[in-house]
Amino acid sequence: MTPQPRTEELAGQPGGGCASLGESHLTGEQFGELMAGTTEAAGGESTSAEAHLKACKQCAEELASMKEAITLFREASNAYANEELRRRPRWILPERRSTSLSLVPAYWVAAAAMFLTALFPLQLLRRHNVAPPPAVATSNADRSAQSDEALLEDVNSEISATVPTPMQALADPGDDETAANSETSVPTSNQRKD
Amino acid sequence: MGHEGVRMFPSTSLSLGAEARSTPLDDLENVVAMYQPRVFRFLLATLRDRDAAETLTQETFLRAWSARASFREDCSLATWLIRIALNLARDHTRTGRFRFWKRVSASAVDVADVAAFVPTREGSAEAHLIAQQQVAGIWESVARLSSRQRSIFLLRFMEEMEIPEIAAVTGLPLGTVKSHLYRALAVVRAQHNTHGATPRNPTPRSAVRRDATTRNATTKETQ
Repeated sequence: MTPQPRTEELAGQPGGGCASLGESHLTGEQFGELMAGTTEAAGGESTSAEAHLKACKQCAEELASMKEAITLFREASNAYANEELRRRPRWILPERRSTSLSLVPAYWVAAAAMFLTALFPLQLLRRHNVAPPPAVATSNADRSAQSDEALLEDVNSEISATVPTPMQALADPGDDETAANSETSVPTSNQRKD
Repeated sequence: MGHEGVRMFPSTSLSLGAEARSTPLDDLENVVAMYQPRVFRFLLATLRDRDAAETLTQETFLRAWSARASFREDCSLATWLIRIALNLARDHTRTGRFRFWKRVSASAVDVADVAAFVPTREGSAEAHLIAQQQVAGIWESVARLSSRQRSIFLLRFMEEMEIPEIAAVTGLPLGTVKSHLYRALAVVRAQHNTHGATPRNPTPRSAVRRDATTRNATTKETQ
């Protein structure tokens, strides 16, 4: 892009540089390209705008002044933002939650372990409430029934006896007659009570 | 381009081969530490509201985290984050609520606050004062740009992004990006030459001419 002629000339101005020599100054687009660093030159050659800068003192100074002002603007803005950020409290980030695929099986294993841990006491409690196996239950019932019958027989025999076993020695001192008179002794005792 | 934050994470690129679903966003704490200042300052310069900038910065990382599976690494993480931030800022500024609160917000950025952070360099106090005026002038002229021109201007001159990267962030063609950038520069240049030119420039401000492009762009933007 070649420097475009301007409607206003700087002839006679101090620092007019090339303008005083009859040349034109940088256009706004050229100035923007130089500021933004987007000048495109083929083969490493300097563009016409860059060549103009070397010859025109005014444009070079204006460009330098703008660059310096923007540098100051950037530095001041950054310093101000950093100071503002420093004044504000730090964020409290939540605990990191990794959703890595490698940890997904571990989550399942942990969940299964917790489930089994919770299930185990329930199973134990259930076992306490469950009836014993039928074979064992039958044998226990038979034993208890036999012992009950034997106990009842003992009680029955003792009740049916005229003289209680512990008192038989007192019923009749005689050996053979004791059994024979045992039946008469009871009414005697009854009569006494009456 | 002088921004170290744009570089890709080497560990990420290595781990991607082994595990397809891992993204740089998995290490959110590191990503926030690395890119939060950059996202915040871009949003602060765009919105000019401290609270809104912080809110949208958080929202940027939240959106990025939520959509991390869609990050294909066809661009850098910084570019991707700035793209999210830009979209959020665009949506935010479209609302009438934003325009209302911008007028009354106590957290709106004052130009003097920014100018106060102009670095002190060798020179007189007068030179420092002039530098502050220049920065204030650019800050004000950037405020007058259209939202698209402002975004592109800030991406180029504050974030120091190259034109193709800006095109990737904005989703605009390269030519359109350049066109917006030149128009934005014309406005800023006009303001700079009118009010903020350094005294080392021997040309009187009134004598600094504007070409047709500059005048048209200035008129268009100020309307």
